[in-house]
Amino acid sequence: MIVEVSHFLSLLATGLFFLVGSFALLTKPSAYISNLITRTYSHGFLFLIASFSIYVWLAITDNFSVQYIASHSNSQLPTFYKISSIWSAHEGSMFLWIVFLSLWGFIFNITIKNEQILKSNTIGIISLILVGFLLFLLITSNPFQTILPIAPLNGADINPVLQDPALAIHPPTLYLGYVGFVIPFACALSFLINGDPGIKWESLIQKWSVAAWIFLTIGITLGSWWAYYELGWGGYWFWDPVENVALMPWLAATAFIHSLSVSIKSSNLRIWTILLSISVFSLSLFGAFIVRSGIIDSVHSFANDPERGLYLLAFIGIIIVSSMSLFVAKLSIIKPSKTIKRFSKESFISINNIFFGALIFSVMLGVTYPLIYEFLFDQKISVGAPFYNAIFIPMVILACIFMFFSIDSKWSRSLNFHFFIAPISLSVISSIITTLLISYIFDTSNLAILISLFAGFIVVYRYVIEIMNSFFMKKYLNPFSAIAHFALGLLIISISFNSLLSSERALNIKINEFEEYKDLKIFFKDIKVLKNSNHDSIEATFVLENQKGRTFDLSPEKRRYFTRGQITTETAIFIMPLKDIYMTIGDQLDDGSWIVNIQINYLIRWIWFSAGLMAFAGMVLMFSKRNI
Amino acid sequence: MKIVFKFIVLILPLSLIFTFYFLLTNNESYPGADYDVFDIPKFELGSLNNDKTLNESSLDKDFILNVWASWCITCRVEHPYLMSLSKKGIPVVGLNYKDEKEDGLEWIERYGNPYKTILYDYKGTLAMDLGVTGAPETFLIIDGKIVVRYQGEVNELIWNDVFLPVIESKDIF
Repeated sequence: MIVEVSHFLSLLATGLFFLVGSFALLTKPSAYISNLITRTYSHGFLFLIASFSIYVWLAITDNFSVQYIASHSNSQLPTFYKISSIWSAHEGSMFLWIVFLSLWGFIFNITIKNEQILKSNTIGIISLILVGFLLFLLITSNPFQTILPIAPLNGADINPVLQDPALAIHPPTLYLGYVGFVIPFACALSFLINGDPGIKWESLIQKWSVAAWIFLTIGITLGSWWAYYELGWGGYWFWDPVENVALMPWLAATAFIHSLSVSIKSSNLRIWTILLSISVFSLSLFGAFIVRSGIIDSVHSFANDPERGLYLLAFIGIIIVSSMSLFVAKLSIIKPSKTIKRFSKESFISINNIFFGALIFSVMLGVTYPLIYEFLFDQKISVGAPFYNAIFIPMVILACIFMFFSIDSKWSRSLNFHFFIAPISLSVISSIITTLLISYIFDTSNLAILISLFAGFIVVYRYVIEIMNSFFMKKYLNPFSAIAHFALGLLIISISFNSLLSSERALNIKINEFEEYKDLKIFFKDIKVLKNSNHDSIEATFVLENQKGRTFDLSPEKRRYFTRGQITTETAIFIMPLKDIYMTIGDQLDDGSWIVNIQINYLIRWIWFSAGLMAFAGMVLMFSKRNI
Repeated sequence: MKIVFKFIVLILPLSLIFTFYFLLTNNESYPGADYDVFDIPKFELGSLNNDKTLNESSLDKDFILNVWASWCITCRVEHPYLMSLSKKGIPVVGLNYKDEKEDGLEWIERYGNPYKTILYDYKGTLAMDLGVTGAPETFLIIDGKIVVRYQGEVNELIWNDVFLPVIESKDIF
């Protein structure tokens, strides 16, 4: 009964959003209409959030007459996981996705007070997108479906790999990031529809875009961390198709934020900015399509139903094609105010846009090529790290070098090299010395890594000098840009060190025996079989001793969950400031020995820290009063 | 130059959308379906609903093998369709997977039995040899060889698109 109320509220919201959309785009703008639009949208949002809250409550109270809840939750689960079970599969996560989309629209709706015409159209576009996705949810993947007359007593279970705090917050954060870009997207479109080149939509949406970017950055970082310790993948990035479809909007969003700042400051790159704002949201939608159509097999792919895929493809196709057509039709109204000076800040950011565009294109190629190849030749191929490394390493290094020179550039003025020769040469020379030292200490001549390190160090050193200057000489420093780019340098250094030094080995080891790996002595102390409430597990205990005589225990586990028969590996990680020692246990061999995988991962936490620092830079911008 | 730019901006997303349309409407795009041919592994298992011991030679030449369990919600969703298949005279063999015997029997009693034979695989040994990752999973076996496997719920759509073309081409059942 209660589920029907929830279902009905969602239907009602769909109807209201449809009204908002048609009012906003079909009627002549007036104060009365825009007031109506604002209010109706808020009511639609209220109905939708009420519907979702009831649904959450149904999940908490174990209402297993709802089929979705019955198949993904269990009465034994803690309340926290009962709630997160809602987004553990397709229907519920789509529901959450839509609620977040409407939430962004709602906050925009109540905070923007001026620019009425732009706002009405923006809300109208958001509403129409909401209608499309709500219809998709209610028609093809209804979470309100009930199993009657008999409801199962205990429910099934949430996928055990999803019973993890990082994962409970990873999807919502990522979704908030994905759908947040609906604001710049809808604003760009309503700017185009409106056709008045005087409207300053760019400065209106800067903070909105940065907010969405922060969520996207944190969401991707959390996903990377989760795959490392919970899935037992043992690394930070795998170029998995689903990671890639999250990376593409991130790259586009990063380029967009850069381009946006130019458009605000000097009305240049306006075409780029609009094109990027459309691209970011389109790529987010593309990600939703890839994950939900079942076209790619992956840990992330949800239940597969080609009908859903076709609906999504059709709807996303309409959004993308109509927005691109609008863009092409109204191209002439977006006139850049003046030409860009050579070596000005604008020129560097336009180069940056080109780099990011090329990276997005390459990732897109890497994602789609295997699918097309399989379709044409009926053979599976995988495009993996070698392809992406070959493209990303040189491009990121080049981009870093351009970025390094852009630090001293000025808006609308050409760069005066003589004036900045001291900080530039200082950071270049110290980076060369550092890189040579690293090459000597670690005895490596891997050129790709050494050049990457060099590129990372020039950025880091240059910003250290800038930060010192701003402290002691009171020189102006843009704090967001400094923190974010310093984090990028740190990220490049961490990744380079990680691939230079990290190593792994599979060992065959019997109980009560010693093995050695690198400077570690590994003693297999014990193996236990444990019975828990919802799973059996095998827990091995190893005592590790390093050269300095420091010992510590690691207990990797293997679990078998009763309800699904799923087998998961629980990693054991010993964390040190500079490296992780990471163990997983595999199968037992016929001679009684166990396969144990040991990895030494250098600076892996620094990678996540750098990504977190980038997000932090965004937050600083969010809470600053100034427009950048 | 501007024309070229406009053209590219429109063509790029359009071509992507059409590519994905073809990929989606292509029959093989069911990711749960697999058409690799391999022999049924050797096994010796009890039966769920009687005391017989069964092995690979005690089964028919051509049949459908369905992996199920009483704890599996999707199996219950799938169940009415299996009933309709067995009513049409298609031989369906069940493989009860990692289940308690009483639970499995109660399930059959409550919802009906679409299976000619039910193998009882408490430890999941045969399922392991078949490469089963979870229930439900359904195999089409022709001449003692597995020719189609499908992970996930079999319904009319899946049956018509994944199983029927193979069955018709071999002219069985």
